[in-house]
Amino acid sequence: MKILVIEDEPALLESILAYFTGEGNICEHASDFAAANEKISLYSYDCILLDLGLPGGEGLELLTRLKQLKKRDGVLIISARHSLDDKLAGLDLGADDYLVKPFHLSELKARVSAIVRRKNFDGNNVIVFNELTVDVSAMKTLVKGNQVVLTKKEFDLLVYFLSNRNKVVTKNAMAEHLWGDEMDLSDDFDFIYTHVKNLRKKLLEAGAADYLRSVYGIGYKFGDI
Amino acid sequence: MKLSNRYNKANILTSIIVLIITGIIYYVVIHFILTEKLDRDLAVEENEINQYVNTFHKLPLPASYLDQQVSYKTLNVTTFEREFLNTIYFNPKERKNEPGRSLVTVVHLNGKTIAVTITKSRVESEDLIRIILLITLGITVILLLSLLLINRFVLNRLWRPFYSILNRMKAFEVTRMDTIEQEPTKIDEFNELNKSVNAMAERVRQDYKELKSFTDNASHEMMTPLAVINSKLDSLLQTESFTEQQGALLEDIYHATGRLSRLHQSLLLLAKIENNLIPDFQHIELKEMVQAKIRQFQELLEKSKLVLTEELAPVEVKMSRYLADILLNNLFSNAVRHNVTGGYIFVKLDEQSLTISNSGKARQLQTKIFDRFSKAADSDGLGLGLAITKQICNLYGFRIDYREENGEHVFIVYFGA
Repeated sequence: MKILVIEDEPALLESILAYFTGEGNICEHASDFAAANEKISLYSYDCILLDLGLPGGEGLELLTRLKQLKKRDGVLIISARHSLDDKLAGLDLGADDYLVKPFHLSELKARVSAIVRRKNFDGNNVIVFNELTVDVSAMKTLVKGNQVVLTKKEFDLLVYFLSNRNKVVTKNAMAEHLWGDEMDLSDDFDFIYTHVKNLRKKLLEAGAADYLRSVYGIGYKFGDI
Repeated sequence: MKLSNRYNKANILTSIIVLIITGIIYYVVIHFILTEKLDRDLAVEENEINQYVNTFHKLPLPASYLDQQVSYKTLNVTTFEREFLNTIYFNPKERKNEPGRSLVTVVHLNGKTIAVTITKSRVESEDLIRIILLITLGITVILLLSLLLINRFVLNRLWRPFYSILNRMKAFEVTRMDTIEQEPTKIDEFNELNKSVNAMAERVRQDYKELKSFTDNASHEMMTPLAVINSKLDSLLQTESFTEQQGALLEDIYHATGRLSRLHQSLLLLAKIENNLIPDFQHIELKEMVQAKIRQFQELLEKSKLVLTEELAPVEVKMSRYLADILLNNLFSNAVRHNVTGGYIFVKLDEQSLTISNSGKARQLQTKIFDRFSKAADSDGLGLGLAITKQICNLYGFRIDYREENGEHVFIVYFGA
């Protein structure tokens, strides 16, 4: 997928680019309003990551601009402002999602993937990975054509892993993804383990390869063996 | 007490006192002047009698006096004090007793000492005094009535701009950007009040704007480095060449970062609630939210083997959905976190209140439990959850109570103060 990252903080920009690059993804970036405006006008992207606080202009104006140009690029707003007004304004102007800083790169990736899937496959929202086929809109999981019955949490977890293929995903990020970051769950994410264990067991029983690995007790990695 | 009532009271009281004093002074002075005049008339009579006696060496006839009575009495004493006195005498003309003023004096005739009593009617002067008193009273009454009327109609009209300014101040909301309009009035004081109120509203609004932008900026400035740390940690984790020990270090850093960002978000949230910066206000089906929250906490309940029983009635409250979610979150995570393995949680929702009770360790922390950063020594929470909960309750006029009995901890939120 083709992604434009509009972010003025170089360190954050670099991390995002490093995380997204690879697996056939093309990433471009812009660090200020003018550059972003130019890129938006000239090219089309599958998804645009937009930081609202930009030097040289208000990020929300870029959304208006996109609308004027009648572009169908997906837009994910990343903002440090945890303000309901901004969120509603952004979504009203046609943004697809809103993520508040600080965020986990895995969460960002999962959300971007979701936007791109929605935009590109128009209802036919399917992820294929080797013998795994996951129909996100119908919430169906197939291993070698046979359906596997997963709980809602296990299914969400699988989609999350598939969006972050070959990346280490922390338990912290997984817990926030599944239960929301408002939950204030202390720092004990051991209950994640049960869901991961069940998911892995079900996939193995259905004949899938063992793609899940635990990493240093911090998190998990789903990907090619 | 209203200002005008207070003013009326003082005004009328002063008027009455002043008028009474004036009346008394009037009465005394006029009485004095009239008595003085009577006395002078009596002295003139006395003089005439004396002259008559000196000229004719006999007493004048008592009947020859028209306006006064004269009577004689032979005395045995030689010395006699001349005196004026008030008497009541029989007026033959009017055929009744009347108050009178008498002068008792003596004349010496043929070696005899004769007491002469000259009496003049006081009726006229008494009448005069009565009329003066009545006029004074009449003026008093008219004055009081007109004062009351002035107060009722004129004062009310005069104060009208004040009340209209007051009403607009009551309706003033800092989040709304409309100005307090000028109320046209010719009274300098009210014009000044109007100006001051408008200036104050402007200042408040300015402060509010600054506060809001400070909150935004502080959040932005602190969240950006946090976001960088977080993303760098995520990137570092992908390099995958760590020893077990380095992994443990990374996990600690993750925890600390997560905690820092949660702490920061909680503090910002507290500031926002305190400054009423969360405008989203709507009807909320609390029962559905509680049920959703119970589902959300299912895994945590299972993990600690907690048994949750619920008794929920449909209840609608008016508040921000976002804050309602946080309120429930905090109460539920509190009940889970401070529970014991195999314990229980009981949730009850009715029209008046939401009660969440849970088993736990017996502790004594009643008073400080809602303070910021107050938490049990073995708690790994931020110590802000209940402070936020309390603030949310304050914002919507709810009341939150906590009690602990033999290891059962009970939180009750009363919706109507």
